[in-house]
Amino acid sequence: MKHLLFLFAFFSTTLLAYSQEKKTISGYIKDATNGESLIGVSVYVREIGNGTVANDYGYYALSLPSGNYTLIFNYLGYEKVEKKIDLKNDLKLNIELKDESLKLQEVVVKTTKEDENVKSIEMSVNKVEMKTIRQMPALLGEVDIIRSIQLLPGVTSVGEGASGFNVRGGNIDQNLVLLDEAPVFNSSHLFGFFSVFNPDAIKDVKLVKGGIPAQYGGRISSILDVRLKEGNAKTREINGGIGTIFSRLSYEQPFAKGKGSFIVAGRRSYIDVLAKPFLSGDLKNSRFYFYDLTAKANYRINDKNTIYASGYFGRDVFGADFGFDWGNQTATARWNHLFNDKLFLNATTFYSNYDYGLESDRNNTNTSGDKFKWNSNIQTWSIKPDFTYYLTPNNTITFGGQYINYTSRPGTALALSNGEERTITLDTRYADESALYVGNEQKVNNWLSFQYGIRYSYFRNLGPGTSFEFLEVEKGERKIPISENKYETGVINTYGNWEPRFSAKIEVSPAASIKVSYNRTAQYLHLLSNTAASSPLDVWTLSSKIIKPQIADQVALGWFQNLQDNMYEASLEIYYKDLQNQIDYVRNSDLLLNRYLEGDLLFGNGRAYGTEFYIKKNRGKLTGWLSYTLARTERKIEGINRNDWFPARFDKTHNLSVVGLYQLNDRWSFSTNFAFNTGTPATFPTNRFEWGEWALPHNVNDSRNAARIPSYHRLDLGATLKSKKKLFGKGQGEWVFSVYNVYNRRNPFSTYLRQNENNNLQTEAVRYSIIGSVIPAVTYNFKF
Amino acid sequence: MKNRLASLFILLLALGSLASCEDVIDLDIKSGDPQLVVDGWITNQAIEHSIRLTESAPYFDNSPAKPILNASVVVTDDKGGIFNFKDAKNNGVYIWKPSTSTDTLGHIGRTYTLNVKFGNEEYTAVSKLNRVPKIDSLTYFFDKLPVAPSDGKPQQGYKPEFFARDPVGAGDCYWIKSFKNGKYFNKASQISTAYDAGFSPGGNSDGLIFVLPIRQSIVPFDEFLVEKDTIKVELHSLTLEGYYFINQIRIESTNGGLFATPPSNIFSNIKNSNPNGRKALGFFGAAGVSSFQTVVDPKQARPNIY
Repeated sequence: MKHLLFLFAFFSTTLLAYSQEKKTISGYIKDATNGESLIGVSVYVREIGNGTVANDYGYYALSLPSGNYTLIFNYLGYEKVEKKIDLKNDLKLNIELKDESLKLQEVVVKTTKEDENVKSIEMSVNKVEMKTIRQMPALLGEVDIIRSIQLLPGVTSVGEGASGFNVRGGNIDQNLVLLDEAPVFNSSHLFGFFSVFNPDAIKDVKLVKGGIPAQYGGRISSILDVRLKEGNAKTREINGGIGTIFSRLSYEQPFAKGKGSFIVAGRRSYIDVLAKPFLSGDLKNSRFYFYDLTAKANYRINDKNTIYASGYFGRDVFGADFGFDWGNQTATARWNHLFNDKLFLNATTFYSNYDYGLESDRNNTNTSGDKFKWNSNIQTWSIKPDFTYYLTPNNTITFGGQYINYTSRPGTALALSNGEERTITLDTRYADESALYVGNEQKVNNWLSFQYGIRYSYFRNLGPGTSFEFLEVEKGERKIPISENKYETGVINTYGNWEPRFSAKIEVSPAASIKVSYNRTAQYLHLLSNTAASSPLDVWTLSSKIIKPQIADQVALGWFQNLQDNMYEASLEIYYKDLQNQIDYVRNSDLLLNRYLEGDLLFGNGRAYGTEFYIKKNRGKLTGWLSYTLARTERKIEGINRNDWFPARFDKTHNLSVVGLYQLNDRWSFSTNFAFNTGTPATFPTNRFEWGEWALPHNVNDSRNAARIPSYHRLDLGATLKSKKKLFGKGQGEWVFSVYNVYNRRNPFSTYLRQNENNNLQTEAVRYSIIGSVIPAVTYNFKF
Repeated sequence: MKNRLASLFILLLALGSLASCEDVIDLDIKSGDPQLVVDGWITNQAIEHSIRLTESAPYFDNSPAKPILNASVVVTDDKGGIFNFKDAKNNGVYIWKPSTSTDTLGHIGRTYTLNVKFGNEEYTAVSKLNRVPKIDSLTYFFDKLPVAPSDGKPQQGYKPEFFARDPVGAGDCYWIKSFKNGKYFNKASQISTAYDAGFSPGGNSDGLIFVLPIRQSIVPFDEFLVEKDTIKVELHSLTLEGYYFINQIRIESTNGGLFATPPSNIFSNIKNSNPNGRKALGFFGAAGVSSFQTVVDPKQARPNIY
């Protein structure tokens, strides 16, 4: 802690030293059409050959000596704006940029500074514009952020239909999925088929795989930063759509004379509504739907203060008399405050909850008969001040902290057997996590920049609670509880981690740069899941005396090149990641409603390395990208695979994706995805043995994931037709057609071994495919 | 409840079948050296007991398992009893016959040790014969699935349900076996086990009547009984090791789909007395057995309260 204070002191003194005799120009940059703030607009000062980039709230600031300057505001997909200024005093300059596509009718893949790929310090970062995601062909026509990012380099999943995604060898719980800065614990509807993000409400998506800046922490492999739209600040806007799975509707409107605006967006699946007339008897009461509601409002109090409030509520509900439901809720409030033109504060407070419930006989409210009811949830709230200090055009300092409070209820169950009641209550676990960080982005000269910072995270298990001690009888087998310690109050256990972060950029030519980065990250919350795909029942579990924090160290090196006047941007990156305290499970592990859960866990290390190639075409009638990853992800867990390294379940050697979008004319556009992956690892037996009535599998080498299932490949096509006629005189409508898995390949999710259905002593291999046919879909979208 | 659970299941299946599918395929996998497999189970029933010794084989070798002949198979108990098992038919099935019609090998509360000598290797296994409660009743009620099964199976009929109470004292484990007209429901997916009166150690179900899903687990949810069918339920007590072993048979035999767990070798309690010697597979267990049998008579059916 002392070190951190010292760092702060050091930075504050340097700040003072620097901040003399300069004037500051600052302001907000917005979209001229709807008043949405634009993230990451480049602000370039011609006279000094340097500039800055607008932050996540569209704010920029530059400190310069008095004089005459030309400012160029540049954002891909928007018309460039040049402003001449005479800087004598501090100056406010708010800018509105016009969407270029309104003029050019061109498809825009990306709205970032044109040469950001080369100029920016960021590496291992992928941004996909919502416009692009919306045009890509989607499963059942449902626009899906999580599925779309799986086509980016370094991103895999265990297979189709599995929830979540894996980044550079990380488990799905190692991704910090943020919705307006609040973490989302389960990003899927219907297991893993659809993501929880309503495309109508999303403004911007960014995936950070490496070179993670100091302000981010809590998960070790990636950050998926999803930002909600603020709502149209100029005019009322209604968007909606009727798809195969969801119907969507969103409403945006300005208020307080354009000082504020809001958006409310909802989606609901309607299979159950369509099925209702065909159901009879018990099935009449079937409940089978999922929905989400997303809302956000912002209000600009004055030039120095803006407040934002956003929320998400989503739920999946299945069952008839029997019920199973789960969902996330998040709420975020933010305050943007300018202390002065150079010091920007974003203070965030959020609440996030994930819970599920299972219940048999929902209609039985008696205390007789039989019943089973089970609930589990994890709840967190946090406060997070983040400061940005625009010290000079060459130094942007970020500092701040975060406090997160966790309450985890791993399981509470009530069982009624023939009228006798029993309850099962696993102890509620309490913990908190605090972090302080400071970082600087420093432009040394025209070709060299650094970003460096440090984060200190500190985790405490808090009372009341119980900690257990276990005896390991045999490596790889269940550990036996030998003692327990009860704590009524106070601190049970703590962990602290220094997390250094460093990135450098060296421009070797105006169109090429080399970037290098190192980061250490620590994680105190883990999703315990021993199944191929994670299920909604999996429990988020806090670190404890037994479960040590997961730690990752990653180094990455990359070459970034733009071609043909930024029409193409390309990158080649290599990375190596070392992972500590990775979790695995004993055989027969019992992860639910198990008081001695920690005895069923095994721990070990992981490593992941690979190379990623990415080329993207930004302009023209044909846009899109090609991404190729050659990678390896392994784990080494004591008690598994003879204590030797083995490939992780989501390890894919080759991973190729091609995304193409083609704008034929004003009305028609086409799109395609192609994906090819090496098959995922599988464990096959070598031998069989007869016991009882059954022929059972046995692997003499006791190996894990030594074989592989066949490779995966898939082609999707999509087309969008804009209606000629105006809807109600002023609106727009469009038809979106999509075909998923065009050439009808039965891609295996897994291959497994079993006994023949009619003969227990006959063994056979089975290919299991989640999607075994061509899936066409039509969606109608409207806007007015 | 079970019925409604079934309808939910059908609904989900219908949705799933929109796309997901399974195909039997050819797979080329390497095989390993054969190992001794012990399949032995002794009970407190006055019946002939057998212990089968075979060899493991390449995974896709669907010919009958090769018997292990000329082994010495002896079971001893902690009260000084010695029981010799003989391979009378020379087929790897070693048999012990009771000398009288009431002579039982197993007694509740005793611990049994199996000793197998084969070639230069000697294997042992230990299992305790645990208490088992009696089955109080076996009833049945008329029931109907909301939709007709697509495979032509009957949509309605009688569902049986047994009642028994787990004795007080946590940690009793059971294997519930059921027979229709003398035929054992023998699919691995139909294996039913209990820990106390519930499914698992965390269930806090000690001393209860077996919970409803277990009481009704004796026929698969999509199968029914008809008039004059004989249904028999056997409750076998297990050691904790036995409980995990039997569960693992079910898990490793039906381990497919989205939520499959990583395949792992099935635990064995057969130990080679030489720790560096070749390991054996299989399980030797002791069980206390209680059973109940009834013949379906529509007049005796109880109302369907679920």
